[in-house]
Amino acid sequence: MPTISLQRDDLEALIAGPDEKPARIPLDQLEQWLMLVKGELKGHNAETGELRIELQDSNRPDLWCCEGIARQIRIKQRGSAISYPFFKKAKRVAGKLVVAPGMEQVRPYVAACTAVGYRVTASGLTQLIQTQEKLADIFGRKRRSVSIGLYRLAPIVFPVSYDLVKPDDVRFTPLGMETMMTLREILMVHPKGVEYGGIVGGHDRLPVLRDANGQVLSFPPIINSREIGEVQVGDHELFVEVTGTDLPMVALTLNIFAANLADRGAVITPVEIQSSVKTSFGRRWNTPIDFGAPRAIPLKAIESALGEPLGGKEVTSALKSYGYTVKAAGQKVAVQLPPYRNDLLHTVDVVEDVAISQGYARFAPVMPSQFTVGGLSRLEQMADRVRHLMVGLEFQEIISNIMGSHQDFCTRMRLDGTDWAKVVEVDNVMSLSYSCLRQWITPSLLQVEANSSRAFYPHRMFEVGEVAIPDASADVGSRTVTMLGAVIAHAGAHFSEIHSCVDLLLYYLDRPFTLEPVDHPSFLDGRAGKIVSNGRVIGLLGEVHPEVLEHWQIGVPAVALEWEIDRLLEEV
Amino acid sequence: MDNLHPLESKVLLALARKPGVPPTLDQLAESTGLEPSQLSMAVEWLLAKSLIAVHSETVAHIASLTPVGELFFEKYSPIERVLSAAREAGQTGRRLTIQDIQAKEALEPSDVSKAVGTLKKEGAILIVQGGCIESTGRNSATAEGMRSLLQDLRSGQRELQSFSEPLRNVLQQHAVKRGNAREPFRIDERVTRSFVLTPSGQEVAEQLSRDGVAEEVSQLTPELLKEGAWRTKRFRKYTISLRAPRIAAGKRHPYREFLDLVKLKLVSMGFQEMRGTLVETEFWNMDALFMPQFHPARDIHDVYFVKNPTHARTIAEPYLTQVTQVHEKGTGAGSTGWGYPLDAERAKRLVLRSQGTAVSARTLAAGASVPGKYFSIARCFRYDQVDAPHATDFFQVEGIVLGADINFRTLLGLLNLFAREVAQAKEVKFLPAYFPFTEPSVEMHVRHPKLGWMELGGAGLFRPEVTTPLGVSVPVIAWGLGLDRMAMVALGIHDIRDLFSADLEFIRTMRGSF
Repeated sequence: MPTISLQRDDLEALIAGPDEKPARIPLDQLEQWLMLVKGELKGHNAETGELRIELQDSNRPDLWCCEGIARQIRIKQRGSAISYPFFKKAKRVAGKLVVAPGMEQVRPYVAACTAVGYRVTASGLTQLIQTQEKLADIFGRKRRSVSIGLYRLAPIVFPVSYDLVKPDDVRFTPLGMETMMTLREILMVHPKGVEYGGIVGGHDRLPVLRDANGQVLSFPPIINSREIGEVQVGDHELFVEVTGTDLPMVALTLNIFAANLADRGAVITPVEIQSSVKTSFGRRWNTPIDFGAPRAIPLKAIESALGEPLGGKEVTSALKSYGYTVKAAGQKVAVQLPPYRNDLLHTVDVVEDVAISQGYARFAPVMPSQFTVGGLSRLEQMADRVRHLMVGLEFQEIISNIMGSHQDFCTRMRLDGTDWAKVVEVDNVMSLSYSCLRQWITPSLLQVEANSSRAFYPHRMFEVGEVAIPDASADVGSRTVTMLGAVIAHAGAHFSEIHSCVDLLLYYLDRPFTLEPVDHPSFLDGRAGKIVSNGRVIGLLGEVHPEVLEHWQIGVPAVALEWEIDRLLEEV
Repeated sequence: MDNLHPLESKVLLALARKPGVPPTLDQLAESTGLEPSQLSMAVEWLLAKSLIAVHSETVAHIASLTPVGELFFEKYSPIERVLSAAREAGQTGRRLTIQDIQAKEALEPSDVSKAVGTLKKEGAILIVQGGCIESTGRNSATAEGMRSLLQDLRSGQRELQSFSEPLRNVLQQHAVKRGNAREPFRIDERVTRSFVLTPSGQEVAEQLSRDGVAEEVSQLTPELLKEGAWRTKRFRKYTISLRAPRIAAGKRHPYREFLDLVKLKLVSMGFQEMRGTLVETEFWNMDALFMPQFHPARDIHDVYFVKNPTHARTIAEPYLTQVTQVHEKGTGAGSTGWGYPLDAERAKRLVLRSQGTAVSARTLAAGASVPGKYFSIARCFRYDQVDAPHATDFFQVEGIVLGADINFRTLLGLLNLFAREVAQAKEVKFLPAYFPFTEPSVEMHVRHPKLGWMELGGAGLFRPEVTTPLGVSVPVIAWGLGLDRMAMVALGIHDIRDLFSADLEFIRTMRGSF
C-alpha cells in the first residue's frame, strides 16, 4: 500500500493541533506512534526533514496523508474523538451543486465543499496534491471509482452544475495547455486525456462541472480548467469536489479532504447536492456528510475475540481514544466510526481497533492448549523416501524455479510439435524467460549441467519437485505432479548407470517394473525406455540426445531419469 | 624413527657411510642413486625432522649460452664478422664503411658499433678518413675469447671460476644484464649446500645400519591378510596432515535441508501438512479470502494469469454461492459485506497461485479438523521483476489453527512458539498489521541471534467472512512465516536467487549452519 512523503515539522505541528506549540518528536517515539496507523517509517532525511512512511491498511485511506496520521496520534493523546462541526446538520451551505439527469449512466456521484481561511503554503500544497493523487490512484483505482478536484473558490458562482455535454460542444483551457480545447481534443491530445480517457470514453456525452456563468471548472475525472482549477501557494479560499461511481466512496473521500483542510485551519462549509434521481442519501443532501450509523456490539464478542475480560470501561476508553463515538449500554457498546472512516464491516474490525488502541503489548500471549496430531501427507512421505534413496545413490539434490521458458522446457529438448511439449503458459508474460511452468524436471537439471562444466566430474544430481501437466479433465486445467528427475553427466555417462539406479530405487520401493523402448525426441533412439509398473507408465529414462546437449552447450554425455512420485502412491 | 620413508633411510645411510667430507646434493645423488626430485624431497623431510643439517652453503656463478649465444655460435659473433670483413676488405683494397658492414652482414647497428668500438680499442682496426675501417692485421683478444667461449659453453654450462681471467672478463662483458638482453652469455648464481648428520641423525643412521631397513609396504592387500604375511611387514606411515583429495557427496540441497528442518519443527508442534496445486482459480486464491474483486487490496497480489484454459469450468458449491453472498451482503457472517456483486466468471479465472493461503482456504472447505493445526510449504508465484530481493517463484510457509480456544491472545501465544522453535528467538515484538483476510492482524518481529530485529511472519484471525462461507464455525488463526532471510543467513548467501542456483560447484560447496 502507499508510501507517502511528508515533512517532520508539518507532522509535528498537526500532532500538536491548532492550540498547542509543536514539540520535537524523537523518531523512536514516532515509530511507536506509527503502530496506531499501521505505518512504518521507511526513511528520514535529516537535512530536508522529509519522512517516508509506508501505510499498510488499504481500508483506511484517511491515513494515507500527513493530516490523517497526525489526527490518529492526536486523538490518542487527548483520549477522545475530534469533533468536526461541518458534519452536523448545517445552518448554512456555500451553494448548490446540481447533478444533471443521465449522469447515473456515466459517472453518477459528486460531493463538494468549500474551505476558507487556510492560506495554502508550499508544503501544504505538496501534501494536498499527494493526498489527491494517492486517493484517486489507489483508493479510486486510477480515478475510475473516485477522482478529486481542487479549485480557487473566488471565481466560482453558485449553483455549480454537474452536466453531460457533447464532446465538441464545450471548450476550455485545461491545466498544462495554453489554448482552448474541446473535450474530444482533450481526450485525444492532452496527456491526462490519453491516460484516463478510457474511464469515460465510449459515452456520447461527457461530464463537465460548470458554474452558474457557464465557466468550466473541470472535465472529471480527466482534467481541471487552468483558470479556476489551479490552486496556488497563497490561495485561502478553496472549492473541493469529488466525483465517482460509488456513492459511499465519493462521500468518504470528500469527508477525508474536509477533515484534512479543517485540521490545517480552514473553515469548511458544506455544499448542497441536488440529484435528479433518488440515491441512498435521497435527492438532496449536504456534503460533507456523516453517513455512518451506530452499531451495537456485545461486549462479550470483543472480550472473547481478544481473550481478555477488558470490561466496558476499558473498551469504551480504548475506542474513544481511537476516534470512535461510543456509548456503553449494559452488556453492549454502541460504536460509530468517525465520518472520515468507512471500514466497519464486522465486529472484528472494532476488535482490532480496541487492540491497536490499547497496544498489542497489553495482551499477554497464551499457548493454544488443544492437542493435535502432526504429520506429513503420504505424498511428502514418499517424496522424502525417494530423496533419501537418491542421496544414498550419491546424487546431489537441486532446487530449481518452476517457472521458466518454452525454449528451455520444450525447444531445447527437441519436443516442439509433440504431446510432450504441452505446458501451462502464462497470459500476462513479464519476461520470456519466465513464461510457463515446467512439465518435467530434466530441463532444470540440464540447465545446472550447462552452468557447471568447471565443477569436477562425475556430476550426479536430482530434484524432487512439482511440475504442472496440462490435463483437460482436471478442475484447474492442469495437474500438479511431484516428480523425481535425475541426471548423470561425465565423459563415460551411460544408459546402464541410470538404469541401475532405477532398478535399485524401485526395488527398495517394492515396485516391480519393466522397461519398454520409447521413441522420445529428447533421448537417443534405441537408448530410452518407459518405466512401466503395474501396467502404467510411471516414468522414463535414457541417454540424452546429442542435439539436446548441443542446444544446452553441454560438452559431456548425459543420461536422465524422470518419474512421477504421485504414481507410486497408487494401490498396486 | 618409525616413520622414516624409504627415501629418507637411503639418504641417512649414504651420509653415515661416508663421514668426512659433507656431500653436496649432486654427490648424494650419485651415492644414493636417487632421482633429483626424490632426493630433494627426502632431504627436505630430513631437514624438517632435524636428522640432517646444512653444513655449508656456497654460491657458485654458472655461465651458460643464451639463445643469442646459440645464434652467434652458428653464424659467428658480430665482432668476428666485423673483423673478418675488415680483413677481407684490406686484401681486396676496397673501402669499407660501417654502413657497408651492416648491409653486407645484416647486423644490428648497435651490435656493429659495439664490435667496432671493441676492435678499435684493441687495435685490431683503425678508423680512417671518411669513416672507413681498415684492418691493422693485429688479432683481437675479445674476438678470439668469444669464439672459444661459444665453443666451450655450447657443450654445457660451466662454473665461471673455471675460466681464465681474460675469458672471465669477456664473459662478464657479454653476459645478459638488466636492460641488455641481446647478449650471448648469462651468469647465474647457484647455491650449493652440503649436508651432515645431526647427532640424532647419527643415532638413527646407526640404528638403521644395525637393524637394516625393514621392508615397508604401503597398502595392506588381501594376499597379505590371507597369508598372514602382514605380521612381518612394516606399514609406512602417511603424512596425514596433507590435504585430502576432493570427492563429491550425495546430499540434500542445503536450502531443502533448512526447509526439512522447518517441516520437522512444524510436525513436532502438531501441524498436519496440506498440499495444493500450482494453478489456482481466483476464487480460492482471493475471493474465498474475502478480498473484494474491485479493491486495492487485490493489487497487492498482482498475479500471473494462465493462457489456456483461461477459466475453470466450475467452482464447487455451496462455496461459490456462499462466498458470493458474503462479498455482497455479508450474509451469514454477521458482516455488512463489500456491497458489490461478485463476478462468477472472474472467480473462475485461472492464475498461478500467488499465496499459500489459497491452500488453507481449500483445507477449510474440505472439512478441517477441530481442533486442528495445518501447514504447507507451497511454491507461489509473484508477478514481479526478478531481482535480488525477488524470485519468480518461492516457497511460502503458512498454515492455519482451528479451535474453540482460539483468540487474539492464543494467536500471540502461537507466534511466541514459532519464534522460539523456528527462529530460536527469545525476544518477540507484535505490531499491528494489515492482511485482507485477517482481523486482528499481527506482524511478528523477533530478535534473531545474527540478524537482530527482523520480521519473522504475519498472522491474524481469519475474518468470519472467510470462515463462515467455507463451513467453519470456530475461530481460525492464519499464519505465514517469512523464512527466506533466515535461510539466507543460515546458508551464507546474499542473493535470494542463489537459493535456486544452477551452479553445481556452488551447490556442492554451500553449507548451512542451523
